[in-house]
Amino acid sequence: MSILPARTRTISVALIALIVLQGFCGIFFLTDIADDIMEYQQPGFSLVHTSLELIANLALLAGAAVEGVFLAGLLRRQAHAERALSAASGALHDLMESYFRDWGLTASEADVAAFTIKGFSIAEVAQMRGSAEATVKTHLNAIYRKAGVAGRSQLVSLLIEDLMRGTLHTQQSPRVDAATSGVQKSGMNG
Amino acid sequence: MSKVRVWDPVVRVFHWSIAGGFAANALFDDAEGKLHEWTGYAILALVCLRLIWGLVGSRHARFADFPPSVGAAVGQLSDMAAGRNHAHVGHSPLGAWMIYNLLLSLIAICVSGYMMTTDAFFGVGWVEELHEILVTWAEISVILHIAGAIYESRRLGINLPKSMVTGYKEMP
Repeated sequence: MSILPARTRTISVALIALIVLQGFCGIFFLTDIADDIMEYQQPGFSLVHTSLELIANLALLAGAAVEGVFLAGLLRRQAHAERALSAASGALHDLMESYFRDWGLTASEADVAAFTIKGFSIAEVAQMRGSAEATVKTHLNAIYRKAGVAGRSQLVSLLIEDLMRGTLHTQQSPRVDAATSGVQKSGMNG
Repeated sequence: MSKVRVWDPVVRVFHWSIAGGFAANALFDDAEGKLHEWTGYAILALVCLRLIWGLVGSRHARFADFPPSVGAAVGQLSDMAAGRNHAHVGHSPLGAWMIYNLLLSLIAICVSGYMMTTDAFFGVGWVEELHEILVTWAEISVILHIAGAIYESRRLGINLPKSMVTGYKEMP
């Protein structure tokens, strides 16, 4: 279990509270609106009014869902960064996360990839993730396949290459870079 | 794979009788009837017993074993977000919050329901409305509780609903 910095914890708790409150109100009012629609023949019923209510509540629930996705992203990022050591790791993390998105890694694969890039062994990663070594190996194979690299050292050099290039051409966005170099590498392998 | 005994009979009987009682009163029986009232009293009595059992019961039944912790709950959410599988032997931190939520909601539902039967509050609008809002809250909580149990069972590879029947968790 990870120990989170106080700021992340505060933001997370605030988001959870918002999601619970919005979720409950949204569902509560939806049942209310459903009751109204059942009584559409009553004289007080207004279609425009009910439709607006419905849209407002669906928007409320959509807001809660977006907050949920944001919270998951925040926690995932924090989980990957928790063993960061130096100031340079901030830039490396941004780069890592953008690669993971481009490759379409699942949450588990991204987690394993982050640990692997930091140099942890398969046994260590398995222990920290509470899963079997065979599972970690399966994740690693998927990561290498999606990234189009042969193994751990190529995976790391991909990032290092980009970081070094980034210092020369700072205006170039790492995301575009990541996408093109990923395609080139997989092209060479396949 | 190791089999660990986690839930004592009191916890299991409490869990499933509360589930049955709540389902009966929220979904099936006549809200104006005697059966609804008596089921409500039974639920309140069971909750009181559970509160006492939370102080004197077996290891994982005690409140001290699952204190309401914000940090641990956010940690469990992080594990979910990162796809990590650290299993908890007793109640998980998020599960603990759900238990406190459900226990408090049930008490509030029973008290507001009882108030509706008294001379002082019979037919009073806000009491009735409060009772119904609390029931909606509890219904949403129960759905979340079931969804959470299924999700966690799949994530951790432990059949959690089954452990609430047999009392044993099969830890990977």
